[in-house]
Amino acid sequence: MAMYRASGLRIMQQLRRRIPAELQPLQVAKAAPALQTFTSQRWTSTTTTSGKHASPQVTTPPPRHDWNRAVSEAERIVGYPTSFLSLRWLLSDEIANVALHLRKLVGSAHPLMKTAKHLLYNGKNTMQAWGLIVLLVSKAAGHAPSVPDVEQDKSAGVLHSQRALAEVTEMIRISHLVHNSVVNLQSSTQAGQDVDTYDDMSFGNKIGLLTGDYLLGHSSAELANLRNQEVVELISSAVRDFSESEFIGERDEQNNPLPYKPGTFQRPSLSVGVDFNEHDVMMPMPIAQVLGNPEEEWECRNILNAGSLLGKSCQASLKLAGQSEELQRHAYRFGKHLALAWQACLDAEPFQCPQLPLDVTFSLVSAPVLFHLEHDPGMYSQLEAGKQSVDNIDYDKIHKAILAGPALAKTKELQRKHTAAALAVLQHFPATDARQALENIILAMQDL
Amino acid sequence: MACLSTSGRVVCGSRRQQTHKLLYQLLGSRPGYTAPSAATGLFSPPKVQQQAMRLCHGLSFSMGKDYPDLLQSPHKCSQSLQYSQSSKANLRQHSSVHTQQPAGPVREFQIDPYIILDDDLKYFYDDVRYLLKSGTSQPELDTIASYYFDGQGKALRPMVTMLMAKAINYHLNNESHQLVHKQRQIALFSEMVHSASLVHDDVIDQSDFRRGKPSVNALWNHKKVTMAGDYILSIASIMIARLRSDDVTIVLSQILTDLVQGEFMQLGSRETENERFAHYLTKTYRKTASLIANALKATAVIAQADDNVAEVAFQYGRNIGLAFQLVDDMLDFVSSTEQMGKPTAADLKLGLATAPVLFACEKYPELNPMVMRRFSEPGDVERAFELVHKSHGLEQTRFLAKKHCNEAIRLAQELTESPYQKGLQVVADLVINRMK
Repeated sequence: MAMYRASGLRIMQQLRRRIPAELQPLQVAKAAPALQTFTSQRWTSTTTTSGKHASPQVTTPPPRHDWNRAVSEAERIVGYPTSFLSLRWLLSDEIANVALHLRKLVGSAHPLMKTAKHLLYNGKNTMQAWGLIVLLVSKAAGHAPSVPDVEQDKSAGVLHSQRALAEVTEMIRISHLVHNSVVNLQSSTQAGQDVDTYDDMSFGNKIGLLTGDYLLGHSSAELANLRNQEVVELISSAVRDFSESEFIGERDEQNNPLPYKPGTFQRPSLSVGVDFNEHDVMMPMPIAQVLGNPEEEWECRNILNAGSLLGKSCQASLKLAGQSEELQRHAYRFGKHLALAWQACLDAEPFQCPQLPLDVTFSLVSAPVLFHLEHDPGMYSQLEAGKQSVDNIDYDKIHKAILAGPALAKTKELQRKHTAAALAVLQHFPATDARQALENIILAMQDL
Repeated sequence: MACLSTSGRVVCGSRRQQTHKLLYQLLGSRPGYTAPSAATGLFSPPKVQQQAMRLCHGLSFSMGKDYPDLLQSPHKCSQSLQYSQSSKANLRQHSSVHTQQPAGPVREFQIDPYIILDDDLKYFYDDVRYLLKSGTSQPELDTIASYYFDGQGKALRPMVTMLMAKAINYHLNNESHQLVHKQRQIALFSEMVHSASLVHDDVIDQSDFRRGKPSVNALWNHKKVTMAGDYILSIASIMIARLRSDDVTIVLSQILTDLVQGEFMQLGSRETENERFAHYLTKTYRKTASLIANALKATAVIAQADDNVAEVAFQYGRNIGLAFQLVDDMLDFVSSTEQMGKPTAADLKLGLATAPVLFACEKYPELNPMVMRRFSEPGDVERAFELVHKSHGLEQTRFLAKKHCNEAIRLAQELTESPYQKGLQVVADLVINRMK
């Protein structure tokens, strides 16, 4: 859910590149503080390093904790962060239209505004563009010699089609986030109270729905132009997984997920996790097999919600490059584990400080909550208050309870597990600057 | 005009004569006629004219003069409005009684497209439901996604798609089970995309009824409904990808971009009066006709037809689609709620100015400000409804639809004669004469 705040930053970056250097400080000063630190770091790193693949600087791991640097190094390796997605996006008629309409929503309580804000401004804890990961995996794997020269972006070491795919990945992810910000107007708790609020909400829904559809429509056109039906199939199935993820388990009136009541399911006996059927993308994730096991249930939910798209995009990218089935599978696993490691990291974040910060809440199906429910099923009674709306829950109390238990440690363990798995899969790829960049990103993420 | 009479394979002389008589009646009545001010309002700016030309591509008369002329003449083609039908069963029966109307070209024997396609359509909805079921492990997702595939729809899109598919196969003398199966998948796609758009429309429009039953947004959480729409699309895309034809996927993906662009066009309709009609026609093409046109084209592409045949399929679908929507917009003013399965004057209530209103603006300029404010003030909807009925807006809309149907018939005649090719012509009659 929360892996989305990347592309707005790229919009800013790309716009900045078009601004003469002497104007830069001014622009930076105007931007949000978080952005400022990010961008100035970025600029120093690009000016001090020279050459593309050559430098030993690239292969030395960046200092610990330096997420931003790991990402900007990585961006340089694949040329542009991702192609011109953001700019093209901003310049299209429909999006200009949306921006106009969005202005009418400013000041209203529609969650679409929050989503838009998250997309445009982001702090340090963001997964940089998924497109970037797809491009790095593409470059790390290389492509079959049979691919004609015209289809290659020689300087960046990726194919044009892979760049297009990276764009599609981003568009689909954003479209899901935007569709997810649709408000349920049937609900008795939110909206619908007075006419003005209802109108705002209904209008916001319209814009959100159409924007998401616009992105989906465009991604399907872009996908079609790749002229590879296996790729179309795979990516379409990732869209399916996204929509399926919103149906799992109990939900409050705004469709926020709630955990199952402890004891609803027998703990399953299987020892290996479940995953998609490799031979038939139409088959859904067999999530029923893992209910009752908090870790596996968490894994399934988040594969559907995140890992599927990243994994399948990495896999599809190698399909475009004519790589072997085996390497494709490794790419899928890499994307999946990376997304899961990142999700575990995000899930742990609200529990890093002893007091829950004001206005911060956490998902009730995040790893710490699920682990704590296993440790102390009695906590479920407090979560029942959220059946109508998760806002009715006393987050501070739950936060305290979770900190007192073993759940946070288990979440950290979970993150380490998927980080290790992602690093291990990466060993199947030849040692290149792109692979190194991926490793750096993973390591930096671990220290966030 | 010339193109209508010279199109190949006219079956019997009497039809040719009759068609001619009709056309003279329609087109030849006012030689040297100069466009009146209302028509100028509609079509004179060169940009609009160009757009209208593009939209009406394939018609032989010159746009600047004859098209508004055509639109102006409140021709008596509305007799068939007297027919009353209220169910699909009646609609089907009706296809065999159309000789009663002088306006339709005469065919020597009668064909019911639903009957000749029985094999292909019989289990159509079962197949869609099976497909939707197999893609998810979540029963609720399956329930919402299959809600509109209850077999109560007209299945117009799959029916036309299959007719065109088989007409083309016959034309190319290339009929294999495998090919028909693939074309049927395209028909499934057309209906699935249509349903997905209905599901999303329901959330956007907040309407409570569709097809005579509660709409999805009245029954389920709007977030889930949105996701179910995406789900239908993704399953349809997987299915099409499995046909393993790059070109078919490209043709069909055009439908999705057009649909969304059409919706965006519907959001803002505050163009000047001159641009309004062209805007309306483009929007109608994108929202309705593109789906039919591109699905039909895809059946030609997968049959490896040449570009000309693919273009015939596309243009036929475009004309049928435009006519279908024009009639739909007209019925919104004349049908009762029970017949349509949804409230009437729904478009006005949504603030949309459709063809009947735009035509009525010529006679009653006081409609213009109402169009601009999207019928938002109290009494606007009732007043506009009344004025449309007082004007010739409904007849003019019907006439425009008729023109597109005739063009569709002409295009169908370019294919080799076969029961399916005749079926395509019957469909044009069904579209113009439908009551729901």
